[in-house]
Amino acid sequence: MTVLREQVSNDRSKFDFKDDIVYLAETRRGLSRETVEEISRYKHEPEWMLQFRLRAYDHFVKRPMPDWGGDLSRIDFDRIVYYRKPSEREEKSWDDVPEQIKATFEKLGIPEAERKFLAGVGAQYDSEVVYHSVREELSKLGVVFMGTDQALQEYPEIFRRYFGTVVPPEDNKFAALNSAVWSGGSFVYVPKGVEVPLPLQAYFRINGENTGQFERTLIVVDEGAKVHYIEGCTAPIYATDSLHAAVVEVIALPGSKVRYTTIQNWSNDVYNLVTKRAHAHEHATVEWIDANTGSQLTMKYPSIYLRGRGATADIISVAVAGKGQHQDTGAKAIHLAPDTRSRIVSKSVSKDGGRATYRGNVRVAPGATNAVTSVRCDALMLDDQSRSDTYPYIDIQEDDTTMTHEATVGKISQDQVFYLMSRGLTENEAQNLIVQGFLEVFTKELPMEYAIEFNRLVRLEMDGALG
Amino acid sequence: MTVSTTAGVVAGSPLGLAAEPSPRDLSRDLGEPAWLTDDRMAALALAHELPVESNPLFTSYVDLRPVRFGELAAYQRAGEAATVSAAVPEGASALLEVRDDVVVARGLSPQAAGAGVIVDTFERVLRRDPALLRRLLEGGATLPADDRFAQATRAGFSLGVLVHVPDGVALEGPIVIRWAQGAPGRAHLTRTVVSLGRDAHAALLEEQVASAGDRDGAPQSLWAGTTEVVLEPGSTLDVAGQEDFGLNTVSLVTRHATVSESASLRWALAVVGGGFVKSRIDNVLEGRGGSVHQAEIAFAGGDQRFDLTSYTRHRGQDTTGDLLSKGVFQGSSRGFFKGLIDIERSAKGTDSFLGEFSMLLAKKARSVAIPSLEIDQPDVRRASHSSSVGPVDEGQIFYLMSRGIPRDVARKFIVLGFLEPVVARIPLPAAQDRLRDLLDRKWIPGPA
Repeated sequence: MTVLREQVSNDRSKFDFKDDIVYLAETRRGLSRETVEEISRYKHEPEWMLQFRLRAYDHFVKRPMPDWGGDLSRIDFDRIVYYRKPSEREEKSWDDVPEQIKATFEKLGIPEAERKFLAGVGAQYDSEVVYHSVREELSKLGVVFMGTDQALQEYPEIFRRYFGTVVPPEDNKFAALNSAVWSGGSFVYVPKGVEVPLPLQAYFRINGENTGQFERTLIVVDEGAKVHYIEGCTAPIYATDSLHAAVVEVIALPGSKVRYTTIQNWSNDVYNLVTKRAHAHEHATVEWIDANTGSQLTMKYPSIYLRGRGATADIISVAVAGKGQHQDTGAKAIHLAPDTRSRIVSKSVSKDGGRATYRGNVRVAPGATNAVTSVRCDALMLDDQSRSDTYPYIDIQEDDTTMTHEATVGKISQDQVFYLMSRGLTENEAQNLIVQGFLEVFTKELPMEYAIEFNRLVRLEMDGALG
Repeated sequence: MTVSTTAGVVAGSPLGLAAEPSPRDLSRDLGEPAWLTDDRMAALALAHELPVESNPLFTSYVDLRPVRFGELAAYQRAGEAATVSAAVPEGASALLEVRDDVVVARGLSPQAAGAGVIVDTFERVLRRDPALLRRLLEGGATLPADDRFAQATRAGFSLGVLVHVPDGVALEGPIVIRWAQGAPGRAHLTRTVVSLGRDAHAALLEEQVASAGDRDGAPQSLWAGTTEVVLEPGSTLDVAGQEDFGLNTVSLVTRHATVSESASLRWALAVVGGGFVKSRIDNVLEGRGGSVHQAEIAFAGGDQRFDLTSYTRHRGQDTTGDLLSKGVFQGSSRGFFKGLIDIERSAKGTDSFLGEFSMLLAKKARSVAIPSLEIDQPDVRRASHSSSVGPVDEGQIFYLMSRGIPRDVARKFIVLGFLEPVVARIPLPAAQDRLRDLLDRKWIPGPA
């Protein structure tokens, strides 16, 4: 348990920094058809992508704001800068990265992470991938790991074949927005039968007041291949609201295995409205390991569509909601083929008036015979100013489905706190330890560095909340 | 929805039926006092404002398309049969029976009559004790303010029934209220208000059965009814409901209970008949130490559509909510189980459980469960829900077959056993047997 007992500083300012970058290109505030055309032109995109963006823009304008979930009324689409580019070209090696940007990454710990065991780093600094290094090893395996914009130019065929097929622009208002103005994000292609030996990692952060981040990630894992993708982020704190509307599409072809891990710590002014969805084909396995701390409102429901016989979905979702925060998160498993399995585990902590909402959907469609699905939601409330909601939707249309669902809500047991204090822990330490234990179902799935970082984040969130 | 407002008066029919008297005319024809007319008009205004489903959690799981509101005509005024029977079933404390729009039986046992129990229509209670009825009804606290169908019924009911058990009275047998409905093309809007005084104890058996009119291919018939329960401190009430309308009948049922300090309510509800059933139950636990136990079964076949919602709101300290729903779906039937436990900040020490369990017995059957929690107070003894959907357990079938029971019979035993916990809670032994018989007949033998 050395990870849990490690003493860390509770100083949040280390996550709260911003640099004065000279932006080389950016669009005017607000969104119009012209802005969309400008972005596409600037990126020298093929005609089909421009048409895709415009179709998405038209839908975005028509589509009303969602009337459920969190409070979205303060988002002002006219105040957002939809595209800005921090440097002219993608950097291939660390030496070529501008000093100022490097210094920011230094604070995020990227070089150390790379030194340890990173397979590749795609770091998003504002709206474009600026730094990218792919280990020779990966190139030899034929693995493609690069910025999404670059992939559109270099791998046009595979890109066009899969892009927008998992999350169409018409899916929801924020997917439409992303589709219209997307920029950056990661593209991963793993060829048939290749097992990527180390996790692929992308660090990114929001910078620039009122900068929207509309990154677009596309991961295609070919037959029998295996990959683990990790995204983690910290963001500086600003006074006005920031919007992060990402789209992540994962295609797990027959027999493949994909794990996608997210550790998120947006600053408390960010609206984090993300559409994450995977298609799992025959005998493929998709795992979303998803943690949400920070932001003022997160609405994110990682989904897996089980499209092929024998496919498996595994979703672990963790949320910590502190003061002024609403974590409206959950998971969806849609069974569309026979002999498919899904498991959803959700853990949430709410404190200091924060609100944690689990919103999930399990559907077994006609034809998806012999499906097995389980959902487990546990919520911990640390004080009586906070709120916890659980909204599971379970729609079963096959008679041989086995579905189980359990949910509990409660507070920290005083007996446990007393026991730990009798062993020499302070009350704060005891509660910290209990919360970390409660979230361990998530933490134990992480590589060790991330487990440490996540426990630090939890500790930061907990600081001041308790005794 | 069209809403026309003239000098503060909202006109129009609350349910959108082909023919529906205006609540004001209805109230005048029934000779009601002004406060009751005003109460109807307040409800009408609400009904016009409310959407079909006011809770955004559930809006995607409401489907009223099977209901042909536009082909139904409401009863103008429910009356009394030429001869009203005063006989009471053996073991019961009272009986009130309504056949279509006519009261055909009304009687009290000697114990109930002697204790001052009331089981009667609003019309007759208004002549005897208008203050009692006004105290219970005025302001609409006995129905959910956010439910369009409840408010439409409050506005446009043509028959009201009051059950009142005075302070300290413990009734021996159940009060039986029987509704027979099924006249093609007709709609009946009714209210039943059940009030128990301090430390009173009673049981209520509600039976909803098909009247002679319900037949295949005939136009739909509609029954919109309420059960509005008010429990004073220390009282206990057992309500058993058996719904077995015909397949051409649509029912819109609202049940609402206000449970005060140390009072206790038990529901045992069986939904078996009716082509389309939409039911909503609200349990409001106001007082300290109040409790509600609710067991509900739905057994559907053919094209039946059951839409069953329950809310449990914990407001008082140390309140208990224990809710169990079980559904069995055959043929191409569908069941929606929507539930919400709401624990307010004031409700420390709550123990609340919501269980929704279903069996799908046919390829085309469908079950939807939405067991939700909204919790503002972490100091709970328990706040949890549990849900499952599955086929009949093969291990259990194998066990029974190893004892010489044929496969189909074994499946039937297991399914009926799954539903038995609710059957066992029906108060009258005769009514229990009748429900068992009903479930037995509902079983569709078949492969699998």
